[in-house]
Amino acid sequence: MPPLLKLILIRLGLGILTLFLVSVIVFWATQALPTDTAQAILGREATPERLEVLRAKLGLDQPIQAQYGHWLAGVARGDLGESLVQQDVKVTKLLSSRVVNSGILVLVAALVSVPFSILIGSLSAVWRDTKFDSVVSTGNLALAALPEFVVGIGLVLLFATSVFKWMPAVSRIDPGVSLASQLDLLVLPAATLTLAVAPYVSRILRASMIEVLESEYVMMARLKGLKGPLVLWRHALPNAIAPTLQVIALNLAWLAGGIVVVEYLFAYPGIGQSLVDAVANRDLPMIQALVLLIAAVYVVLNLVADIATILVSPRLRTGMR
Amino acid sequence: MSELPKVTDSNLVEPASASGGGAGSEWVATLRNAWSFNRTRIGVGIVVVIALLAVLGPVFAPHTPTEFVGAPYAKASGTALFGTDSLGRDVLTRVLYGGRTVLSLALAATIIGLFGGVTFGLIAGYARRWVDETVMRTLDVLLAFPQLVLVLLLISVVGPKLWLIVLMVGLSHAPRIARVTRAAALEISQRDFVKAAEALGESKLRILVAEILPNITSPLLVEFGLRLTYSIGLIAALSFLGFGLQPPAADWGLMINENRIGVSVQPWAVALPVMLIGVLTIGTNLIADGLGRALIGIERTGGES
Amino acid sequence: MSDELKKIGEIVVRERMSRRKFLRGVGATGAGLALGPLLAACGDSTTTTTAGGTATTAAGETTTTVAATKGGSLRVGIVGGSAKDTLDPGRSSFEPDNAFVTQLYDGLMGLDTDFRLENRLAEAVEPNADASVWKIKLKSGLEWHDGKPVTAEDVVFSFQRTLDPADPLLGAPGLGGLEPNGIVKIDDSTVEFRLTKPNAIFAEGLAMRYNMIVPVGYDPAKPVGCGAFKLAEFRPGEQCSFTAFDGFWRGAPNISDLTIIEFADEAARVNAFLSDTVHAITQLPRAQVGVVEASAGHQILRAKTGAWQPFCMRIDLEPYSDVRVRQAFRLMVDREQMVEQAYAGYGWVANDMYSPFDPGYPVDLPQRAQDLEKAKALLKEAGYENLQVELITSDAIGGGVVAAAQVFAEQAKGAGVTVTVNKVDSGVMYGDQYLTWPFSQDFWYTRNYLSQAAVGTMPTAQWNETHWDDAEWLKLVEEAFRTGDETKRNELITAAATIEYERGGNIIWAFNDQIDAHSEKLTGLAPDKSGIPIGGFRFHNVSLA
Repeated sequence: MPPLLKLILIRLGLGILTLFLVSVIVFWATQALPTDTAQAILGREATPERLEVLRAKLGLDQPIQAQYGHWLAGVARGDLGESLVQQDVKVTKLLSSRVVNSGILVLVAALVSVPFSILIGSLSAVWRDTKFDSVVSTGNLALAALPEFVVGIGLVLLFATSVFKWMPAVSRIDPGVSLASQLDLLVLPAATLTLAVAPYVSRILRASMIEVLESEYVMMARLKGLKGPLVLWRHALPNAIAPTLQVIALNLAWLAGGIVVVEYLFAYPGIGQSLVDAVANRDLPMIQALVLLIAAVYVVLNLVADIATILVSPRLRTGMR
Repeated sequence: MSELPKVTDSNLVEPASASGGGAGSEWVATLRNAWSFNRTRIGVGIVVVIALLAVLGPVFAPHTPTEFVGAPYAKASGTALFGTDSLGRDVLTRVLYGGRTVLSLALAATIIGLFGGVTFGLIAGYARRWVDETVMRTLDVLLAFPQLVLVLLLISVVGPKLWLIVLMVGLSHAPRIARVTRAAALEISQRDFVKAAEALGESKLRILVAEILPNITSPLLVEFGLRLTYSIGLIAALSFLGFGLQPPAADWGLMINENRIGVSVQPWAVALPVMLIGVLTIGTNLIADGLGRALIGIERTGGES
Repeated sequence: MSDELKKIGEIVVRERMSRRKFLRGVGATGAGLALGPLLAACGDSTTTTTAGGTATTAAGETTTTVAATKGGSLRVGIVGGSAKDTLDPGRSSFEPDNAFVTQLYDGLMGLDTDFRLENRLAEAVEPNADASVWKIKLKSGLEWHDGKPVTAEDVVFSFQRTLDPADPLLGAPGLGGLEPNGIVKIDDSTVEFRLTKPNAIFAEGLAMRYNMIVPVGYDPAKPVGCGAFKLAEFRPGEQCSFTAFDGFWRGAPNISDLTIIEFADEAARVNAFLSDTVHAITQLPRAQVGVVEASAGHQILRAKTGAWQPFCMRIDLEPYSDVRVRQAFRLMVDREQMVEQAYAGYGWVANDMYSPFDPGYPVDLPQRAQDLEKAKALLKEAGYENLQVELITSDAIGGGVVAAAQVFAEQAKGAGVTVTVNKVDSGVMYGDQYLTWPFSQDFWYTRNYLSQAAVGTMPTAQWNETHWDDAEWLKLVEEAFRTGDETKRNELITAAATIEYERGGNIIWAFNDQIDAHSEKLTGLAPDKSGIPIGGFRFHNVSLA
């Protein structure tokens, strides 16, 4: 087996193992720790008979391993149980539209932030040590430090409520109307996520671009008489992007968690807001589903990042754990 | 699993490795070197000003943080320079009182994270073999959760207790700190003086604490600055989400949560704490960045990254 | 087995989240005050005045519009967003359900905007001497949405459906003493309710929205009622639209159609209103009142109500078992300040007694005011100097509650009492410790005294937060339930309420206003004292300019 393929297969295996362990942690934390879930659900109205019936329904009378197996089998079938707060409603039904909404938000944020960061990063590299570069550098450093909710509230104060009143301060998607007609609702949440991600991507791109621009390859192209912009965008950029793929993928993975605060802030009806609500209401099946989903996205994108890195930079193969 | 997505300049470069030198003195050199960067000085300046504001603020507060000085969301006036909050309390006073909790909780969480991370990292980096594998793989699983989601998961089980939040924020840092520690310890443990100590039959604990730990303080210093930045953000975010301090505490994160509904009427009650949290995180990040640069020996110039 | 599970499911729903707006909301439609004159069957108008205070100041609201504009599509935004919405009046729990069923159906009796009982489908409601047999005569010419006449059979069917022992509906607990075989058709327009025991407040049960009348063979999936609007389209969790019913017994509505839209998010609801997507919204956050008033073409609808958010002290636990501690705690509160800070002024000061619109409400008792010296003295006497207590509060209880807790903590300092506010989330507040908290807050809607006692303070009550158990009081209340004579009954109620004023476990510091908002184009709304939003969701006589 070629060493590269072997390495990728090992990564995949580790990724799957991680997902499995993640599911164990999620289940253990939510279902095994509370002394009696049925008691928690029934509260004061709990009688021995009711408790018994509910325990049987939830499978709490079985050993914990069996409960876990049952739950995992459900997850594999796409059945994540029923919400405790909205009784008799499947978690999957409650979450389906929210997953779509969050997906749209992350997608929009990615589509904006990645090209934006690449542009900013490339320009900083080309114009390095100019005023532009130092402004970008300082801005990146500041933005990288700011928590997302600080950026988001700053944008709300600036563009929605206090200075200008151009944008809606909350982003409730109306399910009855086409999304195209309410794109303005996506602007501030997507901008918040973009500003959270852009510093990292643009900075790594700048570093990588400088390396490429100083490479013999680009020097040669220039000597051959190719014009500056052509060299930059057709030759240097593709080579500079390759090493940054990992950081881009990692930042997309970060978005999976970053939406929690941003969705809450803008009241955007996605999974992040559902998670905050579910935690406040102790809706365990919802929490299990949401945390598992977010962690899965996170793990998969990290895996993609790892494999991308291995593929584009063989020299890293030995250095990486 | 890979390195965390949130990075600063310093750990974009290969994970820090100790740059030799006598045990104990190198972190002083790092500090001195870091101080030569403007950004470090600005960062220290910001943090010192905000820390002073947080510690001494109550002395200068015109009111007590819980007394009512006007109608809810009253506009700025002589009695309340920045208006009142959702309950009619003085915004300025509450801002002056509200920094202590953010700073102290974030500091506590960072120390917990550092302690846990360093412990695991040292053990893994020195013990190697299966202990290394086991410890690091276990921590890797925790890395599969975004930090905030991990903390929310535990809050959902135990409830939003303050000690739990500090503990969880701290422990959510541990895997990342452990990686850095391990990488540094791995290198140090190959050095001659460690081999010598081993040959002399010194106990493993002693080697870890007396030989290896003093030689990896510089990367840990960088980690500390970085994790402090994230701790402030995380703890404030949890307060903002409603899982933090109990009312009527004056706390920047809680103030944002409480007064958000009135932001179009009285923006100060939200804007002031948001600005302070923002500036504070920028300050700590500047310090972390300066330390990182000092560590990897970047020349002192203006705008490089 | 599966039936058992279903029942448990129901219990879970009731006992968890929904416990709130669920059964406790019963009173919002459930109590009357001017029983006497109405029982004499005099239709819609009554001269009885409200007890307990001045009329609300919401200006420019008149119920009778001169030359009302006809036609128009009204859009109303409400709080909601749950897929569990229902159009069945007997199962209507939350605000959306309430808003929907109020359009579709009507009851034998109801409450007017002043919280007085009124006859609706009933022409006359006549109890016998000891209030154990109630004779109802229907108005003539009543019509269902499908054109069929409303008959005594429909009434019998409706109440038998409510009392079905296998699946009793939410209206059943309000019909104390009624068994399915006690519902007797006398002729096509007359029904007799023969109770197993006297029940002086049976008419209040008839006025509950759960007990609105449905036709024989009623199918909730294809709802037919006799309310002002017919169903057009129902999308649970999103919206419900209606068209005007020209055969409505009060006359055809002015507007031609109506859409009620659900908003899960507060800010979204307000934005939809300010951008004129909807003509009116419910539950305007107090912080937004200024924004709405400053915005052209928009105004608030402020209704004075009998709804309350008490501090509840458990009288069977130390230190609250000592009546002096309870008295001291009541004296620590500066009620005006609390209304000002926690409700932004949108409420009226209360006197530690509920049911302000009840004719038996003791209006002559002195208003309790803050007296820190007396409070300190009482605490010292009881041996509780420098008392430290924990107050359980939650955003889930309602707006202004956590704020009131903080105001209380601040005011208590004046009497040397340290109050630690413990804000918990909804899952904890209404979890397994609910009704066992030593010192907590809760909320109640407008009810009259006996209805309130039945659910909140009698030993058999389901939500007795203070564990109130007072033999002298109970004797008075039980006697009141058996007393058909209104004057005598009111005297008993006054005496019972006075006992709670003196030694009860609730600190009732204010009745909160209901604040909704509507466009100036929408006229004909009247503030509703029940606390049901937007004039009690009465849209049959509103007009759109």
